Amino acid sequence: MEKTNHSQQLNLFEDISDLQLLNLTKFQLFLYKLIHFFKGIPGLLVSLFKTIGKLLKGLFTWIGNDLADIVKTFKDGDFKTKLSYLIMGFGSLTRGQILRGLLFLIFEVVFIVYMITAGGHWLGKLGTLGTQLPGTVYDPKLDTYVRVDGDDSFKCLLYGVLTIMFILCFIYTWRMNVKQNKDAEELLRAGKKLKTAKDDVSSLLDDQFHKTLLALPLTGITLFTVFPILFMILVAFTNYDGAHDGYSNLFTWVGLENFNTLFSMNTSSGNMSFAFGEILSWTLIWAFFATFTNYFLGMFVAIMINKKGIKFKKLWRGILVLTSAVPQFISLLYVSKMFAANGMVNGLLINQGLISDLSHIIRFWEDKTLARIMVIVINIWIGIPYLMLITTGILMNIPADLYESARIDGANAVQQFFKITLPYMLFVTGPYLLTSFIGNINNFNVIFLLSGGGPNNIKLSTAAGTAGDTDLLVTWLFKITTNEGSKYYLASVIGIMIFVVVSTIALIVYNVIPSTRNEEDYS
Amino acid sequence: MKKLVSLLLAVLMLCTMAACSKGGEGGGTPTAGGTYDITVWVSEVAGIAELTKQQIDRFNEENEDLTFNATIEGISEADAATLMITDVESGADLYCFAQDQTARLVQAGALNVLGQAASEAVKARDDAGSVMAATFGDSLYAYPMTSDNGFFMYYDKSVISEDMIDDLATLVKACEDNNKFFSMNYSSAWYNSAWFFGTGCVSQWITDDTGAFTGVVDTYNSPEGMTALKGMQILAKSNAKNDSGSGEDFSKGSAVVVSGTWDVNTVQSILGDNMGVADLPSFTVDGNTYHMGSFSGGKLMGVKPQTDPEKAAALQRLALYLTDETCQLERFNSNGWGPSNVAAKASDDVQSNPVLAALGAQNNYATVQGQVNDGWWAKAGDLGHLAAQAESDEELQAGLALYEEQVKGLIGATGYVFVGAWNGWDNADLEGFGMEQDGNVLTITLDVPESDYMGGRIVPVTSWDTNLGCQQVTEGADLIVEYDEASNGDNNIIFLAPGNYTVTCDVSTSEIKIVKN
Amino acid sequence: MNENKKHMGLKAKERLSNTVIYAILIVMSIVWLIPFVFLVFESFRVESTYQVGYVIPKQFGFDNYINLFTKTDFPIWFKNTLVIGLFVSVIQTVIVLCMSYTLSRLRFKGRKGLMNIMLVLGFFPGFLSLVILYKVLSWLNLTSANSVPGLILVYVASSGMGYYVSKGFFDTISRSLDEAARVDGATRFQVFTKVIMPLSKPIVIYTILTAFMGPWGDFMLAKYVSHATSAGMNVAVGLQTMISTPASLAANYTMFCAGGVVVAIPITILFMCLQKYYVEGVTGGAVKG
Repeated sequence: MEKTNHSQQLNLFEDISDLQLLNLTKFQLFLYKLIHFFKGIPGLLVSLFKTIGKLLKGLFTWIGNDLADIVKTFKDGDFKTKLSYLIMGFGSLTRGQILRGLLFLIFEVVFIVYMITAGGHWLGKLGTLGTQLPGTVYDPKLDTYVRVDGDDSFKCLLYGVLTIMFILCFIYTWRMNVKQNKDAEELLRAGKKLKTAKDDVSSLLDDQFHKTLLALPLTGITLFTVFPILFMILVAFTNYDGAHDGYSNLFTWVGLENFNTLFSMNTSSGNMSFAFGEILSWTLIWAFFATFTNYFLGMFVAIMINKKGIKFKKLWRGILVLTSAVPQFISLLYVSKMFAANGMVNGLLINQGLISDLSHIIRFWEDKTLARIMVIVINIWIGIPYLMLITTGILMNIPADLYESARIDGANAVQQFFKITLPYMLFVTGPYLLTSFIGNINNFNVIFLLSGGGPNNIKLSTAAGTAGDTDLLVTWLFKITTNEGSKYYLASVIGIMIFVVVSTIALIVYNVIPSTRNEEDYS
Repeated sequence: MKKLVSLLLAVLMLCTMAACSKGGEGGGTPTAGGTYDITVWVSEVAGIAELTKQQIDRFNEENEDLTFNATIEGISEADAATLMITDVESGADLYCFAQDQTARLVQAGALNVLGQAASEAVKARDDAGSVMAATFGDSLYAYPMTSDNGFFMYYDKSVISEDMIDDLATLVKACEDNNKFFSMNYSSAWYNSAWFFGTGCVSQWITDDTGAFTGVVDTYNSPEGMTALKGMQILAKSNAKNDSGSGEDFSKGSAVVVSGTWDVNTVQSILGDNMGVADLPSFTVDGNTYHMGSFSGGKLMGVKPQTDPEKAAALQRLALYLTDETCQLERFNSNGWGPSNVAAKASDDVQSNPVLAALGAQNNYATVQGQVNDGWWAKAGDLGHLAAQAESDEELQAGLALYEEQVKGLIGATGYVFVGAWNGWDNADLEGFGMEQDGNVLTITLDVPESDYMGGRIVPVTSWDTNLGCQQVTEGADLIVEYDEASNGDNNIIFLAPGNYTVTCDVSTSEIKIVKN
Repeated sequence: MNENKKHMGLKAKERLSNTVIYAILIVMSIVWLIPFVFLVFESFRVESTYQVGYVIPKQFGFDNYINLFTKTDFPIWFKNTLVIGLFVSVIQTVIVLCMSYTLSRLRFKGRKGLMNIMLVLGFFPGFLSLVILYKVLSWLNLTSANSVPGLILVYVASSGMGYYVSKGFFDTISRSLDEAARVDGATRFQVFTKVIMPLSKPIVIYTILTAFMGPWGDFMLAKYVSHATSAGMNVAVGLQTMISTPASLAANYTMFCAGGVVVAIPITILFMCLQKYYVEGVTGGAVKG
């Protein structure tokens, strides 16, 4: 207690010396860091710009050095190296590294063939996203109309971006090819032997083992995660929607217009910025409650089950865990129907006489506050088992002697919880809390299957579609793509905004909670 | 990386090659024979997919030159339209949809125009309303299947007696007294139109020939609209309200359900002999009584545009077959779907069906469902929530004002339209003509037919009320009726004689010039 | 701790608090199980196919189950999901283990950068990719009736992103094991296969289990990819289409419940058998993510 009194005299808004920092409680330390994070924002911004500047400078220096190195390698190199600038892999082939040489050569041939047959075509279309509209002609013989294909903006954008990625890939490979020539020459000059194909292969299982292991996962991520994200970011700058789907009507670049739409206060298209603000604030409220109610209640349940003297530990745990075996799709949809105005719950309440008649039924999904409470409560039902498991693991890891000494000091259970358990948990689960918070911001399933975003709120209805009081940004995004003219471009803009929000939160948390940064701490 | 590129490339090449080779064969025999693998999307309602399968099999037998291997999927009409718009390319070859989706589908390029002979056949055999619903400009885009897409009232005879069914307040009271629900999906624009149309409000969307929306005439934000909202509150503020509208509600304490023909089997199985059907009741606000209105419409079958002319012609034949008198009657007999085919409609079975009779009675108060901007449904649906939640007239008024702004906002494009009404000024019978815009100058050439009221006005697509007016006519004022408080108080441009006119308007100065060609 | 020294008062207090805890646990168990009990009861109801206001059916029967298997495409949906689940569980486990092992135990240039990129990628909502993934699959002809391979491809391809739990597990294995093996002349490949993998049974089973369960619950992507084609649906999409409109909800509600039960049973059994590993995986790995 002395410590606390002492540190209370400190002003957390002032800078505090390291020695004083040691005297702070965990909570004060957290507060101190939070305050100083916000105090440091102007400085942070300045240093951010400085860092960007530095990065850019570094990038240009790097490119400069790289170009110089390429030129130097060419000048100093023998004819094999020089020819490799044109015919990739020539150096390797002539120096006996057949496998490497062949791979380079094949890649170059594929690249050239692709660029001539298709790549150039798609690259040319990328600027306009297509100009030739599909048409219809009448076939008098068959008395029928026939479609004539035109450009497809979607394909133009897709293949255009893929082609650019391919070109970048080629440039990188070409650079590798040059570097290998340089290295090979140096090795030969030093009188060493070059690596054989066998060496190459065996190094893939040893020194270069990470490349082997990462090849497959990273290819998948590049093609099915990075590329779609890249594509959809670009969509935010087009007018791609149901009426301009690329196949029947072309779409094209519109610059920053869609961002203007999102932030416009124009009420005739629905007050978009108002709706965005409202939905964003509920998203954050939801994420906060969904994360922390689960966290504390899950911990509470874990402590109860782990308590000495409680029997059938496995049974209790088993019952809770079992519920997470049933696909959420079924359990959530079923629970949602249970609580409908004419659902099972109201029916039972009436049958049991707890509700006198129909006029008193509880309309769970038709009232803003009630619906919001319902989704949070049912989310607890969904989330506790998982949290209980996680916290059980950590609780067991807390050194028992900490409790022992606390008990000797006369601390009761509640004091032990706040003095030992909670700080320890918060420290260890810092990163988990962050990912869970981010996960809840994007928690589509719970909201979509339970309330469907409802009850609809007339104030949130915009040109992009109607939104409800329990809609999160991500369910709103989904509604926009499926309702009312499928405005994909607006969905993309909102997706980018979600990214901005999440990154901001992550940035703050990483700067405030130390345990999120150092992965080696738990090893 | 390169693997996918080459794979994509290969697929793409194959596709183009396939498309080329097929396109090359064009102009074969007029009978369009052959064997085709097709996908057909029909309603998910029980029995329809099986019935369609039988009908296609029979078609294959009757037409030896033509064989369809059909994959038939049962999905709801709304889903079908949405899926087609999401991806026309891989959508179904033949699909069914509600008529209000036609504009969206035409705009998305998801409907193939009927050939001349096929158009003539459809126009001759189906009722005028359903043909209208499939027509844009001069082209017919789809094949009418039913003319029964409307709603009316089912009730439980053991609770509701026949003398109650004419008044909404009486019905609601009876439900409250008996601890029963009055189930009507009043937060759906489709159903809550009953009150607005009942008081005389209109919501009419204007499209051009390509299916794009060029304007809207919407009078929900008006004294009549306020009356309608107050009428809606009779139900929405009652404890008997149940914002749902499906036949199964009878099993959960409903005594009245507002729904359509598709629910007849469900209701029959629950209520048995106690099933009653009737047109919707009237409601009274401030001493005036209004009969509830409704939407009426039907379902259509559409063919996806094809690059292979033979396949297009073959699908055209199949679609004609699946929507003919026999097939429509089969669907009536199995699922009670009301036909659009004139001959089928006249058959004794259809004539004596009580449910279709109730629908017919309600249709006297119904508005034919035209093309509706997809965004409108949610906006107008929210008015149901407004009626349930609002505590004062001011809130209702504010809600209507916001609604009006948002409905206008749905017409995203800017531009002007000439709205004409050649047969008297009837809001339900307006035609919109998009005006070509070149800088500040708008131009349009009109064929004005001989009629009682050859009038129209130039309005921005977003606002019905900003009428540029006949007083701005600087050239050709002798061709039109002068502004006059009594005879032309709306300041419309009313032509004195029929003929072909070119109207130009400079938006910056609001000067209008009219030339007779 | 010496039990004998405790006061009797303390013991009584202890007993009281234990009683309270038992009460809470019993209530919780009931709350957690009730929806599933309801679900099972409703699936056996014969007298009506729609939602009702009571739990215990007036008439028990297997009608819903029989209809489910004979009148709908449920067997196809089930088979599809099972196939997807099996393939995904194998391939995804390999990918996740590769990814997490590398990031946890190998040190190479760009490792931190790679992890940061993964983290930032995770900030984008996954829904953004739905449309483009669907379009690409549709051009590869991997949608509609062919959606099973299409879905496997998409699930597996992006599975590397979910390496956190398993990396957390590998982080807890002492690095001295690797070093000892390396000193003995083992290659990194041998360290991976001979030293670390044998220690990793819990996380391998955990990864297989979660990878297998994922496809059973996936709804949105599967709905897009199946494109209204019954032959290409998984159980979630198939069951959802059964109750997607008011009319079909009325006709199929109890059948939907039966479908839910049929889906839940095998997964629950699997889960019960492997629960030990699941718990070890979560407790060992999840918090480090």
